[in-house]
Parts: sequence; C-alpha cells; structure tokens
Amino acid sequence: MVDLSDARANASPTKAFFVTMITRDISLEDCILDLLDNSVDGALRKEGGQAPGLGCGPDLSSYHIHVFANAEIFSIRDNSGGMTLDDAADHAFTFGRSNSSVHEGYSIGVYGIGMKRAIFKIGREIRVRSTVQTVSDGKLSFAVPIDVDAWLSDDSLPWDFDIVSDDTLLHDGVEIDIKRVNPAISNSFDNPLFMENLIRMLSRDYSLHLARGLKLSVNGNGVNGIGIKLLESDEYAPVRIKYADVTGSDTVDVEIIGGMAASPPDQSDPTENDDTDRWMGWYVACNGRIVLSADKTPISGWGTEDWPSWHRQYSGFVGIILFTSERAAALPLTTTKRSVDVTSEVWRRARSRMREVTKDWISYTNQRKQMPEGAREREARARPVDLEKVSARPAVVLPRLTPKVSEKVGNVNYSMPVTKLKKLASSLGNLNMSYRDVGIKSFEYTYDDLTGDE
Amino acid sequence: MPSFNAINYSLRPSKSIHRQVVFDGLSRLISHMHLRDIVYVGMGSIWFTDFVLAHRILKIKDMISIEKDDIGKSRAEFNAPFSTIAVKHGTCSEKLPELCSDEHLRARPWIIWLDYDYEFNENIASDLRFIVENAPLNSVVLVTFNGVESRYGKLPERASNLKGIFGNVAPDSIPRDRLQKSPMQETLSDLSLRFLKAAALEKARPGGFVEAFKIVYSDSSPMITIGGILPAPDALGMSRAVANGASWPGRPARPIVAPHLTIKETIALQKALPSETALSRTEVQAMGFDLEADQIEAFQKYYLQYPSFAQIMA
Repeated sequence: MVDLSDARANASPTKAFFVTMITRDISLEDCILDLLDNSVDGALRKEGGQAPGLGCGPDLSSYHIHVFANAEIFSIRDNSGGMTLDDAADHAFTFGRSNSSVHEGYSIGVYGIGMKRAIFKIGREIRVRSTVQTVSDGKLSFAVPIDVDAWLSDDSLPWDFDIVSDDTLLHDGVEIDIKRVNPAISNSFDNPLFMENLIRMLSRDYSLHLARGLKLSVNGNGVNGIGIKLLESDEYAPVRIKYADVTGSDTVDVEIIGGMAASPPDQSDPTENDDTDRWMGWYVACNGRIVLSADKTPISGWGTEDWPSWHRQYSGFVGIILFTSERAAALPLTTTKRSVDVTSEVWRRARSRMREVTKDWISYTNQRKQMPEGAREREARARPVDLEKVSARPAVVLPRLTPKVSEKVGNVNYSMPVTKLKKLASSLGNLNMSYRDVGIKSFEYTYDDLTGDE
Repeated sequence: MPSFNAINYSLRPSKSIHRQVVFDGLSRLISHMHLRDIVYVGMGSIWFTDFVLAHRILKIKDMISIEKDDIGKSRAEFNAPFSTIAVKHGTCSEKLPELCSDEHLRARPWIIWLDYDYEFNENIASDLRFIVENAPLNSVVLVTFNGVESRYGKLPERASNLKGIFGNVAPDSIPRDRLQKSPMQETLSDLSLRFLKAAALEKARPGGFVEAFKIVYSDSSPMITIGGILPAPDALGMSRAVANGASWPGRPARPIVAPHLTIKETIALQKALPSETALSRTEVQAMGFDLEADQIEAFQKYYLQYPSFAQIMA
C-alpha cells in the first residue's frame, strides 16, 4: 500500500498563468479602462475621495489623462499625483489584493488585478514610471521596468520586479509605456474602427468624470462626455429617487433617474435608418464610472420576470442608476467593471425599482401606438433637461393617451433599394428623411396628383 | 444616363494627369513587389482609357471590365481595344463574387480600380468591403468617387450622412469646417481610407491594408481617388517602404487642377520646360497669352503627364 501521509498536491501558481491565461478573459477595451480607472482614482483621491455624481462631486478640471496607441506603442500619462513607493512595493504589482489591504475610498479598483492584467495583455516591454510628492523628501521619481519574456523565464519565488530611480516626470503622476505590443493588440491599435469605438466608449463610461472637468485624450484628440438629457414639460417628467441600501457593514447610496429622452418611433421597423436607438436603455454607474450603458438585456431586467424584452417600440427611454459606496467591494460590479453582478443583493433590490419606472414607460408606448400623431405633438412640447437638473420626483410623469375614433386605415408595406429611397428622400427635400416618411410622402404626392384631392 | 454619354473623357486634363500619377505609382509597386501575372479589373466604359495604360505601361494582358448598362455592354465589347479584355455584364456587387470564385483569377494579384462618377455611397462601401475581404494577396485596390460636398446632403445633415455611409469609422462628430470646401474632400479621403483599413483589419486579413493613394483632382468638380495595397505578409515591409517613400507619387500634397489649354498654348509652355525655377506669369505673358499663377504651377508640375489627343487614342 502506498504511503500518502506526506503527499501534497502542488498548488503553486506559475507566472505564465498570469501572463497568458488570465489575460484571455479580458478584452483590450477592458484593459484600457482598468488603466484609466487607476488614473481617475488617483485624481479623486487627491480631491478628497468623493465619487462624481450628477451635478455634484469633486472639481476635476485640473486633471488630464492622455492615451497614445498605435501599432508599435501604447502609453498612458496622467497628472493624478503619482503612485507612492510604498504602493509600488507592497500593492500595485501584487497579484490580487490581500485581505489586509486597505480599500481606497470611493474608488472602483477592488480586485487588485487590473493594472497587471492590462499591461501583460498589451505588450512585452513595459515601463511604469511615477513621480510623487513626498512629505519629507520632496519629489520622488522611480520606475518599474518589466521585460515580460525575461520575467517569465524563472518561476521560482519570490516574484518581484525591480524598482529603479528615474527622471522626474513633467507632472506628479504615472506614466506607463508599453513597447513590443502583442500582434493582435497591435492590429487593434492600428484599426481606425477600434480606435473610434474606443473614443466612443471612453466618452460614455467616463461621462460623469468628464462632466466634472476631467480632460481625457486619445492620440491627441480630446474626448467629450455624452450629454444625455431627458425631456420635460407639464405632461412629461422624469423620476428621480434616492435611497441608501445598507448591506452588511456597508452603505451603498443609490440614485435612479429615468424618463423620456426622445419620442418613441412611430413604427417599430428595425431597418429604419435611425441611430438614436443605440443610446436608449439603462445606464449603470458605480462610484461615478459607467459600467453598463444603454442596456436593453436581461441584465437590467428586460426580458425577465414580469418585464418584456426590449423592443424598438420602447426606444426613447433612458434610465440611469448610480451606486456610490466608500467601499468598492460593496458595489454591484464585475471584475471587468464592464457589467453588473446580477447576484448582488444591492442590485436586485434596485432592479425592482427600475422595473416600476420601465413599466410606466412601456404602458405609455402601448397607448401611444393607438394615436402616434397626437402623442408626437404633445412630446414635441417637452424640452431637454440636463440629468443633474432633474427635480426629485417619486415616479415618472407621462400623459394618459386616449385614442380618438378614427377612419379605418390599412397598412402599406413594400421594400425598395436604399439608394433609390435616399435619392427620393433628397428629391423630396431631406436626405435624412426616414424611409417611412419617404413612403408616406410618395403616397401623398401620388394621391394628390392622381385624385386631385388635397 | 450612363456617364459615357455625358462625358468625353479626352477633354479632362486633370483626370488624365491623375490617372498617369496612379499608373506611375502602380508601376513602382509592381517593380518593387515583383508582382507577376497580374489581372486588371476596372470599369472601362466605352473609352477603356485606364485599360490602355494598364496594357501599355504595366504590360498587363488579362483585363476585365465590369459594365452594368445593357447598351454600354454592347458598345464596350465593340470598343474594347485589346483582345485580352473581357467585358462582364452586371453590377460590381454581382460580378465581384463571380470573379473571386474563379480559381484561375484567385491565384493571381489584381489591380482593381472602381472608377465611379457619383458620390461614395453604401453600395460602393459594400463593394469595397467585399474586395478587401476577398481579393487575392498582393492586390491593389483603388476607388474614384465624386467629392462635391452637396452630394453628401445639406451641411447640418452632412456629418450624420457620412456616418450612415462609412459606419463607425466615422467619428460621432465632425467639425463643420471639415465638411465644406476643400477640407470636405480631405475628410472624404480620410474616411474612405479608414474604411478600407478597418475592413482589412476586422477581417484579420494577413498583411492588412497599406494606404498608398490619396488624390483629389478637379476638372469641373472635385473628384477623389484613394486606394492601397493588400499585401501578402512577406510583402508588407516592401509595400510600406514603397508607399511611404519620399518620392512616392500617390499622395500629392495639393489637388490636381490642370488648366484647360489649347494645343498651341501647351506647346509654348512645354518649350520652356523643364526648368529649375518656377515659370512666372510674366514669362507666360511674354509667350503671348496669359494664365493664373496656380494654373502655371499646376502645368509645370504635371507637364509630362499633360494629355494630348494622340495619347488617349487606343
């Protein structure tokens, strides 16, 4: 019989696991967001540690983050105060956050994996530089150079990186330069479509920070936040509620705003040439960072119990829900910080409130189908209001639409080549006219012409 | 109306010059990349001007002209200047898949030039995407389209129209000053090149796309020709080196706007060239006629490519 008394299963990690395996589970976009989150957290920390909210939070106008990316190099530079030597030595380069680590107030860095996973995903020659103001010794500048291939060649403990002294950066902050960019990543940085979509993502996900003055650029081009506004009039007004959700020893402040951002479409044809639908749905922010945007999936409730799946009929609705907590671990966000942890109790409690807001809107659009013309006139009287200026209100205000008894109507449905439709739209005076309107105008034109009946 | 009924191609000096600039570039690419057994694919209309140059300058034998017009097809077959030109009847979107599925053609590099006289639209975008995704390795793709700003809608609608045509490679907002006058042609050139590059990278095409041509020319209204190389991975370095070299002709810094000259004027100006110094207006006046300074500059720059009737006769 084999003696198992001294047998042990080896559970030691390998460096290759961290460099080649965990980097597969994260997209390049997520990596860049992770690096930006560190910069943003630094700026927020310097300003007292409050997360930005709607119309409130720290003034970030003195902070900038510049991202440069092309086929050969990636770099990110900020003036967010820099990483301290202690942070570099004890926290920033460890894999995972130890239980004893202090969670930063109102940050969203919670898992202690972001920066390493990001830089390993991007390239093989890395240099993390920092200039920081110390209490006793003035400015301190150092760098952590990483040659990934050389580091991978030896798995024996301890795992560490050299810290070397370095030139002082222009601003107190962090600069990460990555060369020998991995081939697939290089292709993405070279791809205009990827870079344009990256700008779109940053303008959306950091819109609350950008609204507080943060300057963000990609390859020298400034990024502007998306300016979502809701429509308000005597008959239409968004909901705005706030509550505190206590979970264990943590308190999460929750704020929900939602209502009409645009008139719903008069028809639900998905082929209609209309870009506005992509902005509609639910937005979720955790400590100021948008982690889910324009969501129309079961994550935000659509298509779940007692809640229909998203349909173009519901387009026009925007809701935003903000979770703020001093302890990032209490927030309902995933490790990638690009979605919501749907098992979180804080999230599940919030979602039932979101459903009530959404149901009001669904009911409105169902009524609206019966009398779109009358509704359109009433909606046109509503004026856009910045989210931060929306007044507190316990429920969304929408008019009750009663259909008029009208002439019996029939539907006409036909398909034509898009180039012909656009040409006709242009001849009818508006190249951007919807295909539906091209059809209606064509009918009216022919009807008037052939019947002489106005 | 088909464009061949509207335009006498021989009377457009800027188009002619730009065409020769393109063929100068193609000639260099063929030489440096050692391209052999090339197929030329174009829209020869009834004039076949580019086909004549492809045969004469690039020594290409097998050429395919796509002609969608019924009568145009018959006239094209009648006017085809060489026995090795095949006229394919149909639209590009119909004929390109046919060409790409031809095993004999798939094994050879193509030079494909889609020369439209109307604006860049969704159909052109779709044809180009198909080419970028399916053309053989070491092919060169070129497209010419109308750059007149009003063809892209009224100014307030223009940015969203471009987004509709080019998709997400177009920024969400384009400053108004980039949508008017000559910056509009720059914007269109950039967006169309970005579109091709993104299509190649999204498809993970080996070798990707190397930008090579970006030319604005104008006879009466501004036209744009852009294009590039779809190199094999082992030809990527060379194609980049050629297309980014200091003497590469495919990206003239200014639009080609050649003066319309009589044969007598052309001969008089040519007699003063080549010259180390810029021809002045006074010197032209001394020849017995007059031209604007920018017309003189354009002629001096492109006098070797300035067309004569003899040149375009097949």
